[in-house]
Amino acid sequence: MDSANLSRRSLLQAIAAVMATATAPVGWAQVALAFDQAHAAHGSGERRLSWLKETEAADIEAVAAQIIPTDDSPGAQEAGVVYFIDRALGTFFSQLASDYRAQLAVFRAGYLARYPTARSFASLTSEQQVELLKRVDHTPFFTTTHLLTLLGMFTLPVYGGNRDNVGWKLIGFEDTHAFYPPFGYYDRDYPGFIESARIK
Amino acid sequence: MSGRTFRESDTVDFVIVGSGAAGGVVARELAQRGLTVVVLEQGPRIAPQARMHDELKDWYLGGITNDVVKNPQTFRNAADKDAELQKFKPALWYGRAVGGGSLHYTANFWRLHEIDFVERSALGAIPGTGFADWPITYADLEPYYTKVEWEIGVSGLAGASPFDPPRTRPYPMPPLPVKSSGVLFERGARKLGLHPFPAPMAINSQPYRGRASCVHCGFCHGLPCEVLAKASTLTTVIPEAEATGRCEVRAESYVCRIEVSKQGRVTGVSYFDRERRERLQRARAVVVSANGAETPRLLLMSASSQFPDGLANSSGLVGKYLMFNCVSRAVGVFEHELNEYKSVQVTRVLHDFYDSDPKRGFYGGGGLDARLGPQPTTWAIRTATEGPAWGSAFKERLKEFPRTMQVAAHCTSLAVESNNITLDPNLKDAWGLPAIRVTYKDHPDDLSTARFLQDRGAEVLEAAGALRVTKAPVTEQTSSVHLLGTCRMGNQPKTSVIDRFHRSHDVPNLFICDGSSLVTSGRGQPTMTIQALAFRAGEHIAAFARRGEI
Repeated sequence: MDSANLSRRSLLQAIAAVMATATAPVGWAQVALAFDQAHAAHGSGERRLSWLKETEAADIEAVAAQIIPTDDSPGAQEAGVVYFIDRALGTFFSQLASDYRAQLAVFRAGYLARYPTARSFASLTSEQQVELLKRVDHTPFFTTTHLLTLLGMFTLPVYGGNRDNVGWKLIGFEDTHAFYPPFGYYDRDYPGFIESARIK
Repeated sequence: MSGRTFRESDTVDFVIVGSGAAGGVVARELAQRGLTVVVLEQGPRIAPQARMHDELKDWYLGGITNDVVKNPQTFRNAADKDAELQKFKPALWYGRAVGGGSLHYTANFWRLHEIDFVERSALGAIPGTGFADWPITYADLEPYYTKVEWEIGVSGLAGASPFDPPRTRPYPMPPLPVKSSGVLFERGARKLGLHPFPAPMAINSQPYRGRASCVHCGFCHGLPCEVLAKASTLTTVIPEAEATGRCEVRAESYVCRIEVSKQGRVTGVSYFDRERRERLQRARAVVVSANGAETPRLLLMSASSQFPDGLANSSGLVGKYLMFNCVSRAVGVFEHELNEYKSVQVTRVLHDFYDSDPKRGFYGGGGLDARLGPQPTTWAIRTATEGPAWGSAFKERLKEFPRTMQVAAHCTSLAVESNNITLDPNLKDAWGLPAIRVTYKDHPDDLSTARFLQDRGAEVLEAAGALRVTKAPVTEQTSSVHLLGTCRMGNQPKTSVIDRFHRSHDVPNLFICDGSSLVTSGRGQPTMTIQALAFRAGEHIAAFARRGEI
C-alpha cells in the first residue's frame, strides 16, 4: 500500500535525522518495528463479522453511511466502519454491547412501524433514511452509532475501520511519523520571535 | 535498567505510592541522598518506544490511564444527587503506568506567578470558598522551578513575557519551532497590544541529557512520546533513582491500605501484586504521590479505629477542595493550511489576563494559548458538537481540520468544599475496593472567567484574520485531568492536611506530595508546580530522615 510505504520511508528518514543529531538515540528500532507490524496487520482488509448479525450490520452500515456519506470522496462505508463497530462491540467496548443490541432493536421496530414492508433500513431510499434519522438522532442508538462511526472512521486502520486511510485522507491528515518546519502556510518565512516583535 | 530489588521482609526507609510527576522526582531525591526506596505503581511499566499513535487506545480505552471498566467512577454535581456511573470516559483521568501523568500530559510548563501564593491576602476572602494563601511563597519555590527546568528539561525563552516571575537561570533549551497557530496568535495578539511569548514546554527542542529532540510527530497530547523528547519521570528521574542501587520501582502494585501502628505511626503499605495477591511492604516512612484523586482515596480507604474518618483526616479536608482548572476555547478557521496536527500542541502563550481584576466583577484569571487540540478522532467527535453532527454538511466541516486552530483558555478554579472525592458507598473496582465518587460543580466565578477569556481569545483570532470564529459554549465540567487541592498544604492542622514540608499534620512519618498539595489552582498547567514541590519535598524529607525525624 502506497501510504504505508510512504509512512515507512518517512519514518526511516526521521530515524536517520535523529541518529545524526541525538547524543543517545533511543528506541527507534522498536518504533520502526511497531509501525511495520501495524501496517502489515491492516493490509488484510477483512470483511467478516464476528459479533453482529448480518441484518444488524446492514442497518448499522446504512446509518453510518448517512453520518459520513459517500460523495465525490469515500465515506463511512468505504472506510469499513461497520467492521470496526463489529470488532469494538465484541471486544474492547463489550461493556456497551448488550445495551446497544437492545437499542438497535428499538430502532428497527421504529422504522418497521413506519415502513412495514421494508426489508431493512438500507432498503429505504436515502430521503426516507434521512427523514427517519432526523427523528431519532438524539436516541441512545443513534448517539452510540454516531460515536462508533467516528471512532471507526478516523482511528488507526488496525482496528478494522479507516481502510486505506480514507478517514485521514478526507480531513487532510498526513500519516507520517515525523515532520519538520515549516508545518503550514503561516509559519513559512517566520523571522524569529525577537525579529517578529520588532516588525509588528 | 531497573536497580536493586528489596524483599518484603526488608524495612526500607521509604515507600512511595505512585511513580508519576511527583513520585518519580521524590524517589530520585531520596535515593540520591542515600535512602532506600520502594516505589509502588498501580499500572504497568511500558516501553514508550514500542507504542504508536494509537488515539483510540490512549484516549478511549484507557491505554495508559485509568479505564472505566477496571477503575470505575461515579459523578454527580451536588451532594443531594445520585452519582452516576461513568460508562465511557472517567470523570477523573490520570496516568496509570510507571511515569503516571507525565506520560500523557501536553507538557505545558509555566511556573506559577508570585501572586498565586498570596492571592487571598491581596484580594480578601471569597465567601463560600476555601480561598487561602499558601504556606510557602514563590521565592521559596523558585530554586525548585529552576531545578525542574534543568533536571527534567524545559524549552523556552526567558524574559520573553513581561509578566514572568523572577528567575535565577534561563531555560536550558531554546523554544520549539513556532507553528502556524503560534504565528497567527502572535499577529492577532500584538495588534491588540497584548504580549504573546514562546511556550515553555517540557519537550526537547534539541538533544538533552541523553534524550533525542522532538520530531514533531504531533501526538504529545494524551499519549507517551516514542522518541522520549517529551520528558516523563519514566525516562528522566526514575532511571536516575534506579541507578543509585537504592531504589526499586515495583509496577502493577496497587496499594489498598496504609498500615498504622498502635502509636499512630505508619509502618508500611498493603498492596495487590500483579496476581492480585495481597502483600505488605514495610517502611520507616511513607510518601503518597498517587495524584489528587487516588491520594485522598487511599487515605480514606485507610480508615481504622484510630483514624475512623480516614488517615491524616482530623481536619476533615482529605478529598475536599477538588479543583480542575476551568477551561474554554475559541475556534478560528483560516484561509490557508495551518496543519496543526503536526508538532507539539502549543508554541505561543500569553499571560496578559493572568491576574484577577476586581473591575471584571468576578474572581479569576488565566492564560491563553494557541493550539489545534484534538487529533483526528477527537476532532471529528468535537466537530459534531459544534455544528451539524452528521450528513454532507458535517462531512464538509470535517475537512476544515488543517485550516483550524483554537485559542484555549486555562483558568482558575476556586477551592469549594462541596467539590470533592469520596468513596462510593455502592460501587467497587475490579479489585473489590471502593470506587471514587466525584462531586463537582464549577464555581460561578470560574465559569465567568472562562467566558471572559474565551472572548479575549476570539478577539485574537479575529485580529489574526480568521475567516470564521466560533465560541464553544462554556458549560460546567464533568471530567478533568487536573486533580488538585484534595490534601491541601497549610500551617494550621484544622484547615489543612499537610504542613509546608508535605508532612501530614496527624501522622509524623506520613508525607503527601502531588496535585493534592496545591492550595489554589493556579491558571492551569499544574505539572510544573507539582514537580517543583516534589523536588523541594524530596530535599526536606531526606533531611528529616537523616536527622532521625521520620
